[in-house]
Amino acid sequence: MKSDPVTLLGPAGVGVLWLLTLLAFGIFGRRIWQLIGLLRQGRPENRFDQWGRRVAHFLKHVLLQPRLFNERSIGAPHFLIFWGFVLYATCFNWSLLRGLLPFLPIPYPDEVKIVSFFLEIFAVLVLGSLLVATMRRAFFAPPHLHLSLDANFILSLIGLLMLTTLFGSGFRLVAEGARAPGWSPFGNVLAELFADVPAASALKLSQAMWWLHMLVVLFFLVYLPYSKHMHLLASPFNVFFSNRGRLGDLSVQGTTEDFGSGASQWKELTWKQLLSGLSCAECGRCDRACPATASGYPLEPQQLIQKIKKHIVKAGLSGKPAADAHEPKLIGEVISEAELWSCTTCLSCMERCAVWNEQVPLVVTLRRHLVTQGAVDRTVQDMLANLTRYGNSFGKSDRMRAKWVQSSGLKIKDARKEAVEYLWFVGDYASYDPRLEEITKQTARIFQQAGLDFGLLYEAERNAGNDVRRVGEEGLFEMLKEKNLQAFAKAKFKMIVTTDPHTYNTLKNEYPWNGDGVQVRHYTEVLDELIQQGRLSLKKKLTGRVTYHDPCYLGRYNGVYDPPRRVLQALGLELVEMPRHRHRSYCCGAGGGRIWMEDTPGIKERPAENRIREAAALPEVPTFVVACPKDIAMFRDAIKTTGHEGKLAVKDIAELVAEAME
Amino acid sequence: MNLFVLLKMVPDTVEELNVAPDSPALDAEFLRFKLSDPGEQALEQALLLKEKHGGTVTVVALDAPEVDEVLFTALAKGATRAVKIGGDWSRLQSFAAGQILAAFLKAAGSALSADALVLLRSQAIDDLEGEIGPYLADELGVPYADVVTGVTVTGNSMSIIKEFAGGLRGEFTLPLPAVLGIQSAEKPPRYVPIAKVRAALKSAKIETVDVAPPARLARFALERMYKPEAGGRAQMLEGSPEAVADKLVEVLVQQGLI
Repeated sequence: MKSDPVTLLGPAGVGVLWLLTLLAFGIFGRRIWQLIGLLRQGRPENRFDQWGRRVAHFLKHVLLQPRLFNERSIGAPHFLIFWGFVLYATCFNWSLLRGLLPFLPIPYPDEVKIVSFFLEIFAVLVLGSLLVATMRRAFFAPPHLHLSLDANFILSLIGLLMLTTLFGSGFRLVAEGARAPGWSPFGNVLAELFADVPAASALKLSQAMWWLHMLVVLFFLVYLPYSKHMHLLASPFNVFFSNRGRLGDLSVQGTTEDFGSGASQWKELTWKQLLSGLSCAECGRCDRACPATASGYPLEPQQLIQKIKKHIVKAGLSGKPAADAHEPKLIGEVISEAELWSCTTCLSCMERCAVWNEQVPLVVTLRRHLVTQGAVDRTVQDMLANLTRYGNSFGKSDRMRAKWVQSSGLKIKDARKEAVEYLWFVGDYASYDPRLEEITKQTARIFQQAGLDFGLLYEAERNAGNDVRRVGEEGLFEMLKEKNLQAFAKAKFKMIVTTDPHTYNTLKNEYPWNGDGVQVRHYTEVLDELIQQGRLSLKKKLTGRVTYHDPCYLGRYNGVYDPPRRVLQALGLELVEMPRHRHRSYCCGAGGGRIWMEDTPGIKERPAENRIREAAALPEVPTFVVACPKDIAMFRDAIKTTGHEGKLAVKDIAELVAEAME
Repeated sequence: MNLFVLLKMVPDTVEELNVAPDSPALDAEFLRFKLSDPGEQALEQALLLKEKHGGTVTVVALDAPEVDEVLFTALAKGATRAVKIGGDWSRLQSFAAGQILAAFLKAAGSALSADALVLLRSQAIDDLEGEIGPYLADELGVPYADVVTGVTVTGNSMSIIKEFAGGLRGEFTLPLPAVLGIQSAEKPPRYVPIAKVRAALKSAKIETVDVAPPARLARFALERMYKPEAGGRAQMLEGSPEAVADKLVEVLVQQGLI
C-alpha cells in the first residue's frame, strides 16, 4: 500500500507544503541576497582566473577535506556529516519537488531501494559522527573551539533529521506489513521493535516523520544563514576563490586602485576578505596554531575574522541607521591596534584553516591603514625612519654594511664591478648585528672554499623590505625595492643567494624579475647543492643528535624543507625532529616586524621561549640548528631567559658546515 | 594661527665625521645632512597647534644639502607652505642667520600678525649656544623663550612650559607674536608614510625666495677644528680577583687615598 506523505493533511497538505516552502525559501533567499549585497560593497579583486586550478582545488578541499583530517577526532565525523548533508540535501529537494508537484510520475527518494539504503546507512553514520562531535564539545573540546549554543542546536537539528528518516522508514514498513532487512537495514530493526503498532497508526506516524523531516529542513534553511552553519554555504565559494598563487601573497589582483593605504572601514576590504567571516566555521584551528595566541598576546585569528563578520552584518544589514547612530570604527573599536601588531605573519593560521581564509594579508591590509595614519609604535617608527634614511633597520651608515668583509681579511668581489655567478644579498642582520658577524664570515669562507663565484653589492644593498611590507609600510617597501633594483641593474650576476629567509621570500616572490631568469636561492639550498656536487670538502664527520627549526619564511612561505635536512645528514648528524616541524614549525616571534617592537607586558611566554622548551624536551639533543640570522638572535636570547644555557646551544647551519670543513 | 617653523640642517652623526685636512671645517667627503632632532620637535609642536587652533604652518629653511627632502617631508606631515631661502650659507653664523630669517619674516608680513608664532629648535648639535632665537626675536622686536616643552595658546597670549636644569620646570605667560625655541613637542613627532612623502614630491611645491644677504655673514673667524684629544688614560687591572684587589689597594695607596 503506497500513500503520499502529503496526504497526512488531506488535500490541503500540498497547499501547506507550498506555503511553508515559499516562506522558507523566501526568507532564506532574502538573507542570502542581502549577504551577497554586502560582499558587493567590498573592493574589487580578481579571483576569477585560473579556473582549472580553482576547480582542482575545490574538488580536493571541499569534497575530500584533507585539512579537516589534520585533527583526528573530528576529521572523519565532519567528513561523514558533510557527505550525509550532500545526500540528504539532494533527497530533500527531490522529496520536496515530489510533494509540491504530486502529479510528477516519480517516486519519493526513500521509495527507491538503493537510495533508501544509502539514506539509512548515512543516517547511522551521521548519528555516530554527531555523537563524537557532541562528546568532543562536551568532554574533550580543544582550546579555542567556539563552544556555542548555536553549534549544539545545529547538531541536534541534524540528529533530528537522521532520526526522522530512520523512524519514517521503520513505520512505513510496519504500515506496509513488509520487511526489508536488505534495503532498509535500520528501518527494518525499528519495524521489528514497533511491529505491534496498528498499520493505520504506523502509516500516520510514517507520514508525520516525513513532515517533521521536511519542517526541520525548511527551518534549517531559514536558520542557516544566521548561524555559524553559514560556512556550509559560503566556504565552498571561499575555497574556490582562495588565492591560488603563493600562500601569504599580499598583492591584490585585477585592480588599479591604490591599496597601499590599506582599509580603514569594512567597505575598503575586498569582497573576498568580507567572505572570510561568513565562511568561518569557528573551529579554532587558527587560534590553536597561532604563536601570538599561545603566548597570550591580544590576538586570536578566529576572533579577527569573526569580529569583521559581526561588524559587517551589523553595520551593513541592520537597516537604515538612525542619524545619530554611531558605527564603531573598524580599527580601534571593532579590532584593536594591539591585536593587529601582535601578528608575526608566520602563516600557521593560513596553513591550517580548513576553509582557506587569508588572515595574514588581512592583518597587513589593516596595518597599512595604521601606518597611513602614522599610528605606529615608537620603536617601529624609529626603524622605519632608519630604513628610509640608511636602508637598514640598525640606523647605521650604509657605508658600514660590508664592514665585516674588512675585518674578515677576505677578498670578496664587488658585483657592481665584476661579473659573478652568485650575488650574495647579505641582509641587515647578517651585515650589521655583531652577534652574527662571525657566522657571516664563516659563511663567506665556506663559499670561498667551495669555489663559489660570488660577490656583494656592498653599500648599495638596502634592506629587501620583506618585514617593512608586512608592517604595512607599502610605500617604503616600494622605495627599498626600487633602490635594490637600481643596484641589481648595475651588477652582473646569474643568481642571488641569501642567508635570510625573509629577504629570500621577498626577493624571490615580490621583486619583478621580468623573465631575467634570475634565480633566488637560500644558502641551505646552495650548500645542499655544493655538497651533492662534491664541491664542499667535508673533512670531519660530525656526530651527535641535533634538531632543526624550520624558519616560517623558508618553510611555510616557500616550501624549502629538505635542503637543510640533507645538509645535516651529509654532515653526519642525527636529526631529531621536534613535534612541530616542517609546515607545522613554530614561529620564533620575530616576523612581520615583531622583532622591532617592544615586548608586550604581561604575556605568558615569548614564542621563542615556547619553542626552546619544545626542543629542550627532546631526549639528548644538545644542538638547536637554525637557518635564519634572526633566529640566532631570537633563540640565543630565549635559551638564556628559559635557563637552558649549557644544555642547549643554538647553531647556524653554516657553523656546523664550517666545523666539518676544518 | 600663523605658525612659522624654522628648520636647520645638521651633520648626520651616523656617518663618520672628520676634520677637513685643509680648512677648519668638517670633511665634506662623507658628510650627510639631516634635520636637527629639536627641529623635528619644533615642527611637531607647530602641527599640534595647527590641529588645535587651525591656521597655517609655514616651514622655512636656509638652502643646504638634502634640505628639499626635509621640506617635502614637512609638507607630507601637514605643513601648509614650504619656503627655501636661496644662497650659499655654508659659512653663516647665528647673528647673520637671525638677520636673514628676520628679513624673510618681515617681508612675509603675516609673521608679525597678532596670532603669529615662530618656532625653532632651541639648540642643534652644531649650535649648542642656540643664539639664533634671541637674535631673531630681537630683530623682529618680539618676546623670546627657549628650552620650551609645551605651548598652550589662549587668545592673544600663551602659556609655555620651560625646562631648567635639575628637572625643574617653569610656566610662563607670553604675548603673541613671539619666537619660541622648542626643546621637545608635547607628543613624539609623528610618522609620515613614504607614500605621503612621495605624493608631496609630486603635487606640492617648495617656494624659493631670495633675501638680500647681510653685509657680514660671519662676525668671528674659526681658527681651528679638531677632534677631542685624549686626556688621562684608564688603567686596566687584570688577573684573579685577589690579584686585582691587591693591585687596587696598591693604586689607592699610591694616590694617597688610603
